[in-house]
Amino acid sequence: MKYQRFQVITSSTHPEYRNLVRGLTRIVWPEFMRHEAVANENWHELLDRFAEYQFALYDSENNRVAGMGNSFPLRWDGALDDLPDTGWDWAFTEAVKNHKQRIAVNTHCAIQIVIHPEYRGQGLSSPMIEAVRAVTKAQGLQKLIIPLRPSEKSKYPLISLDDYIKWQTDDGQAFDPWLRAHVRAGAKIIKVCHTSKIIRGSRAEWEEWTKLKFPQSGRYIIPGALNSITMNIEMDDGLYIEPNVWIVHES
Amino acid sequence: MDVNRFKLIAPPDLPNYRALAGDIADASWPEFMMHDPIANEHWHELFDRFNEYQFALFDTENKRMAAMANSLPFYWDQPLEKLPETGWDWVFLRAIEDHQNGVTPNIQSAVQINIHPDYQGHGLSARMVQAMGAIGKSKGFRHLVAPVRPNQKSKYPLTNIDDYIRWTNAEGLPFDAWLRVHVRVGANIIKPCHEAMFIRGSRAEWENWTSLKFLQSGEYVVAGALNPIRMNMEKDEGIYIEPNVWMVHEL
Repeated sequence: MKYQRFQVITSSTHPEYRNLVRGLTRIVWPEFMRHEAVANENWHELLDRFAEYQFALYDSENNRVAGMGNSFPLRWDGALDDLPDTGWDWAFTEAVKNHKQRIAVNTHCAIQIVIHPEYRGQGLSSPMIEAVRAVTKAQGLQKLIIPLRPSEKSKYPLISLDDYIKWQTDDGQAFDPWLRAHVRAGAKIIKVCHTSKIIRGSRAEWEEWTKLKFPQSGRYIIPGALNSITMNIEMDDGLYIEPNVWIVHES
Repeated sequence: MDVNRFKLIAPPDLPNYRALAGDIADASWPEFMMHDPIANEHWHELFDRFNEYQFALFDTENKRMAAMANSLPFYWDQPLEKLPETGWDWVFLRAIEDHQNGVTPNIQSAVQINIHPDYQGHGLSARMVQAMGAIGKSKGFRHLVAPVRPNQKSKYPLTNIDDYIRWTNAEGLPFDAWLRVHVRVGANIIKPCHEAMFIRGSRAEWENWTSLKFLQSGEYVVAGALNPIRMNMEKDEGIYIEPNVWMVHEL
């Protein structure tokens, strides 16, 4: 990597890797995003099964982590257009299943690429994307697929994601900055996966996660959510279904 | 905060009264709220016709204006339940019209009570409401009505205002902080006025007023707005209709 200050590190190059990345997701994500069932059940599998796919961007000047990439390999023989609507949840479950069954993998899938808020706007998203693409190559996989979370969709919770991904800037690029960064790096948009992540909680849990109150059933706007959530008071159940965008980097 | 620190003042008490009051409005309102045409066209009438109904709270310690309020008198001989849906915009025009026609007023309406952000959370709002009622009482009026803007509704833009005003806190008082201030000093909720303010702008204006982009027709959640706004690309027009709540204080 040309930025000498920043180095790509993994758990094998840096024994203190776990400590360095600890707490990063807490800083990066709104609280409710940390209550995704598939993520919470499987997160440990990343380092248990796919350690060589997990990396961080290490700021050697300040001895801390500026970004992190999490991915894994899976087997996908279908057409890209047929990738499941259950995006992120499907990919994570599938990768673990494939690994348990010792199925030969052919596809790289990234489930999280984050940059610490204090390191945003410094041109690090492009090196982060390149680092993930480098993993695809290093592992001898054909392509990199990502159920991508468009970073500014949360400002437009009433717009359907199918419309939003067609939005463009004046110079014809993808409107969403994160989508744009990937397209610039060579990615193609495949389609929306509408039920990529499912977050479910009681009314009390959602009140704690969001600092809002939910006195009646209905739809609510939640800061940081890409769509509105639906609260059902009778069932004491609040449901957020996050849509993501399947994109592909073909090498 | 020491209550004696704050002194009620009237427009003649300060040479730059209107500018200082304007600074408080600038600091507290989201930009789009400064573009209600009725307010912008007629604001000067408050001082030209109804000067004795305007007042502010002056912080004698820091020599600055901590809060300001506007109200006006009008004539109303029907049941309060019949106050119009067009709330704020209506009462402003009605008061001017009555004054122009030489109609003797018999009721007072609040137009605005605004606490500078630096002074919020110190109980000044209740004092401002009471000071406003004292003016109406000195004129011999029996009622102070107010098209109240329930501030916190902006966090619940998808909830109907008719439902929202019934939300209560653990003490059984209104959930919304501004509604609660009025109820605590003795006011009753009459009903919502669903079209209290009407703010219209081109797409470029709305992009300027908010930090958003409007790339297709539809509803958008705007920070600080009580309901979503509706953007129509073909007509190059975004419309925000603000609901308020008619409340009444017996004087």
